[in-house]
Amino acid sequence: MDYSNLQRKAAYLRKSLFDQGYLDEQFDQLEELQDEVNPNFVEEVVTLFFKDSSRLLNNIDQALEKSPNDFRKLDTYMHQLQGSTSSIGAFRVKRECTLFREYCDKENIEGCVKSFQKVKREHAVLRQKLEAYFQLLRQTGPVERATRASN
Amino acid sequence: MTMMSSSSSLGSSGGEKFPVGMRVLVVDDDVTCLKILDQMLQRCRYRVTTCCQATVALSLLRERRGGFDVVISDVHMPDMDGFNLLELVGLEMDLPVIMMSADGGTETVMRGIKHGACDYLIKPVRIEELKNIWQHVIRKKKWNESRELEYSGGDDSDPNRRVSEDTECASSVNDGADGISMSHKKKREDKEDEDDGELDHEDPSSSKKPRVVWSVELHQQFVSAVSQLGIEKAVPKRILELMNVPGLTRENVASHLQKFRLYLKRISGVAQQQNGIPSSLCGPVEPDAKVGSGGRLDFQALAASGQIHPETLAALHAELLGRPSGSLVFPAMDQPVLQSSRQGPQCIPSERDVQFGQPLFKCQSRITKQFPTSGIGENMSADFSIWPSNYLGTADAIKNVGGVNNTPKVNMMMQVLQQQQQPYPVVSEPHHIINVQPSCLVVPSRPSNSLSVSQGSLLLNQSSIGVQSESSNKFQSENSSGTVKSSSNINGVPEYRLPSLSNKASLHLEQSVVGDTTNIGVLNGSSVSFSSSLSSYSTSTNSGTGSERKAGKSFDQAQARNLGFVGKGTCIPSRFAVDDIESPTSEQCVRNTSTGDDGARVKQELQLDFTDSSQVGGSTMLPHFSSNNFMSVLSEDGLQGHFTEC
Repeated sequence: MDYSNLQRKAAYLRKSLFDQGYLDEQFDQLEELQDEVNPNFVEEVVTLFFKDSSRLLNNIDQALEKSPNDFRKLDTYMHQLQGSTSSIGAFRVKRECTLFREYCDKENIEGCVKSFQKVKREHAVLRQKLEAYFQLLRQTGPVERATRASN
Repeated sequence: MTMMSSSSSLGSSGGEKFPVGMRVLVVDDDVTCLKILDQMLQRCRYRVTTCCQATVALSLLRERRGGFDVVISDVHMPDMDGFNLLELVGLEMDLPVIMMSADGGTETVMRGIKHGACDYLIKPVRIEELKNIWQHVIRKKKWNESRELEYSGGDDSDPNRRVSEDTECASSVNDGADGISMSHKKKREDKEDEDDGELDHEDPSSSKKPRVVWSVELHQQFVSAVSQLGIEKAVPKRILELMNVPGLTRENVASHLQKFRLYLKRISGVAQQQNGIPSSLCGPVEPDAKVGSGGRLDFQALAASGQIHPETLAALHAELLGRPSGSLVFPAMDQPVLQSSRQGPQCIPSERDVQFGQPLFKCQSRITKQFPTSGIGENMSADFSIWPSNYLGTADAIKNVGGVNNTPKVNMMMQVLQQQQQPYPVVSEPHHIINVQPSCLVVPSRPSNSLSVSQGSLLLNQSSIGVQSESSNKFQSENSSGTVKSSSNINGVPEYRLPSLSNKASLHLEQSVVGDTTNIGVLNGSSVSFSSSLSSYSTSTNSGTGSERKAGKSFDQAQARNLGFVGKGTCIPSRFAVDDIESPTSEQCVRNTSTGDDGARVKQELQLDFTDSSQVGGSTMLPHFSSNNFMSVLSEDGLQGHFTEC
């Protein structure tokens, strides 16, 4: 693909991530922070996020298996995850995290389990999409960031 | 803040203006957030240090004291609760701490605020929010500075922080003349004081209680405890025990004590400063009132500071505050303080420490000088030009005073005062202990210049006495006996502000504005020449009275001296009413020359302006004399003990 095509693709991908709610304005903030000094800031943060969040998801998995009645613990883990997802603007993942915590509050273990599956799913989807996005960016250079909505 | 008082101390880099280069420490176990915050803060041009463990952060803060300007911390962390960290940082380092969390629930935020967080950010944090965090640094600094100023008389405001802690008071906001490094402490202390929260028992587990407000009553209790223990022996733990206030922590007391000590020092320093106080005031103070009422007399503060014998202070305090007989200055106070009954000339054998006496005279708003423990008189003379010789005597007097343990402290004070006034002829009453009636706070209602109240206008107005205007009411009530009503000032007067009365800068003494001259607490008719005696007043003005008020500096010393002495005729503010304290050497009473009364010893009520956060309701009466008023007041013989209770 030629460069401009790649650029267009990247831009399109970015836009769709926002439009579909995978990302929210917090992601914009990250992009704002990227500059010449830190040209790969966004990707670095996202990478860090996925690494850390995978660990947390594992913890929750194990907690659900071993101590499913410890809702406090589950809530604590999920709270941590929620903090970082919101920080990078992973809107859908965050939404699922919130739901999970609501189930924890109600001590509804089934609800927790189901909700957790959704969390993991959203997490995986986002990861794929962002990986694709960054790949494009590497090929094309930073996408012009106009507004989110705009291309 | 550990740092600074000067902007330069604020983290600035490369000579750029603050907030550029502000040093931020970010603590969050979430590495993603940490990285983002790091970048954001750098974008704001701050100098960022990140830490993902609270324990590490704490040790970093401890190692590098003064190395950070602000801390941002997450609430939920695995190794330590963020609120805990918040408290510790606030306590130990006095830095502004900003909490953050994904949890934006009201309760959590409330907890944060109660633990002392300067701000609470909800994740995800936006850079715009971070751009403004520098205001917390400035705000805290300013607050501390103003507290220091307030206390610059040595007020020891009690910051939440542990006073005992060796705070690194990095900078000293120099509060006026003082410039004591204690100012740092004050800052910290201030914090505590400033917080007017009630005693908050909310977090009993935390080492630092939520801010404690040192109310008048509480301060009274404190002062009383301190006097009981004796300033040298007054340690926070014992004070706490004596006070027996639930929910009060040792730290609270410790910081308050520190402030108090500063305050006393300041007062004594003030007294020394005043030189121009006309010596006219000198009048025997009628011993009537007993020192009773515990108002929080600043004297206690003085005592606490070691300058004045606690008992003396207490006595004075009591007198000032509320001596029953006299117009009490602080009616409300019940004296936790000593109660000495002031009676009679007690010239208490000097036992000792005369030192206290000094403070009386010296009531300066800023303690610049230290009172030599022993020779009060010396100080005095040095300082008070007005009463040159008188003061010399004070040493003796003080001694006497000192001796009284629990005797009417007031008397002691009076003695001291008297002694100080020694040269004055006034001491007609032999050993007349200055009767400082509590109510009579000699407060020079007029600006210091007028100190010369020749008539001995000791204005012991209670009202004027340092009691803050609000508190001044207290006085008034007390002073029943012919107090001169000082009219309005009285309120203003109360200089004795224990708690930091507001930010009045005037704090100290100033407040005592003795309202207008009327205040005069009066001394019994006799000339209380205090005017200057109210050393503590430095300022007084506060009250609207306008004129008087301010005892002004000049008053300070003179007044201070005089204060104690209320002429017979004059009504010594109950506070002072030192009952004739007999000064061993000579009555040092401040004689009111004008009235010719002999020895009205006016007990000078030092208005200790102990500004504590709580207001002093009048407990402390700083004698505020406006000299003019004073004199006039004093001169009237009829004024007996009028103290206008403010």
